[in-house]
Amino acid sequence: MAVLATSVHAADPVPEITIGTQEVGLSAGYLLPERLTKHHVTKQQGPAFMPSWMITLTDPIGDSWYRGQVSIGAEVVYIQFQEPVLTHGVGFNPKIKYTFVADNRIRPYVEFAGGPFWTDLGNKIPEESSELNFILTAGVGISFFVTSQASINVGYRFQHFSNAGTSYPNYGINSSLPFGGFSYFF
Amino acid sequence: MTTRHSQFLRQSVAGLIIVLASGCSHWIELSDQATPLSPSQTTISSNLRVPLLLETIHITQNGAPVAIPPALERQVLGALESTRLFSQYFQSGYEQPASHEPRVTVRLTMNTHIDPHPGETAWSGFVIGASMFLLSPVIWFDYDYGTEMVLEAERWDGQTKQYTASSSGSAHYYLFGASPHVIEELKGQVTDTCLTSLLDQLVRDAPLYLADSSPPSETTIHTVSVGARRSGTDVHPVSTSPPASSQ
Repeated sequence: MAVLATSVHAADPVPEITIGTQEVGLSAGYLLPERLTKHHVTKQQGPAFMPSWMITLTDPIGDSWYRGQVSIGAEVVYIQFQEPVLTHGVGFNPKIKYTFVADNRIRPYVEFAGGPFWTDLGNKIPEESSELNFILTAGVGISFFVTSQASINVGYRFQHFSNAGTSYPNYGINSSLPFGGFSYFF
Repeated sequence: MTTRHSQFLRQSVAGLIIVLASGCSHWIELSDQATPLSPSQTTISSNLRVPLLLETIHITQNGAPVAIPPALERQVLGALESTRLFSQYFQSGYEQPASHEPRVTVRLTMNTHIDPHPGETAWSGFVIGASMFLLSPVIWFDYDYGTEMVLEAERWDGQTKQYTASSSGSAHYYLFGASPHVIEELKGQVTDTCLTSLLDQLVRDAPLYLADSSPPSETTIHTVSVGARRSGTDVHPVSTSPPASSQ
């Protein structure tokens, strides 16, 4: 009879994120105004909620500190503007993310997102004249993996939305959005 | 008018189903198939078989040494065992064959090459995202994997022989078909094809690994059919033998 030996391996706490690994997450933050020009006078602010889904497209790229993985996905952005007037905004944003994987458990990332954004804040402020807008987001964050499949995330985003010149005035609204959240990988 | 509308609706639904179905698919192409030898199958006397010791598996990935995945270790051992060319199968670090009896020691070296096309993949991902995922059913991603294997077999008298084989393939998948299983499937198929070719060569040299000096201990000679397992199929032995007397 053949003798076959099998080895037993302990569970590996390192996140095993490979091509096709999916991530669902929820982030929440508080929107703060960034008045970059004299035309920007509105002090918009309020809580934001961002459920998201992503899929990893690459195995780790590179051999140095910038070694990382690319993932794409989408998120829904909901913002409740509490100032200057109670209004709401909802958007759907495809996003792309580069996660640095040089460290196993603490993984910084940069992300970009953009898509349509509807808000009834438009028409109620001097900077924007329409309710249908487009939002652009650039952000950085850090994921801390508490298990091999779950992480806690904190980060900062800069958001801009405007109506792409479909009506005027169109100075746009700029905001800072510090956020925190969690993700589950499968 | 209503008929035209219902026809349009049916065509739209059919189109949507096709798009969604294709958007979730993947396919694998094996190229540079390992040497297409005809399956070698022969019958040998079972009491001439000796134990095999798998001494080392050395793997490099794009030139850098990597740890041996346990699944691969099992795959190699399973493939060796399925040849039925040896009486027992041992692995270095575990139970060993008796030192005084003849045995064959094998060492396997695998040089694997991976090309995940990261630049194209990232760019395609950006385009898909920018299109609000509308292009996901028509833009696919590529992942190439190849392996070269060298099996060194050493007889108990020190005589060694090397066998080489290579195989490669590509996985193509759409965004929603991307899965770790696709890559594992590709690697498994390429490895299996390469192993099969390698063991085919080993089986062709079967007489080299038999203890030809051992006289038959019984008047009835038990025989065993040996051969490399074909990819995706099981070997069905023509005849079987009782366990070797050495066990």
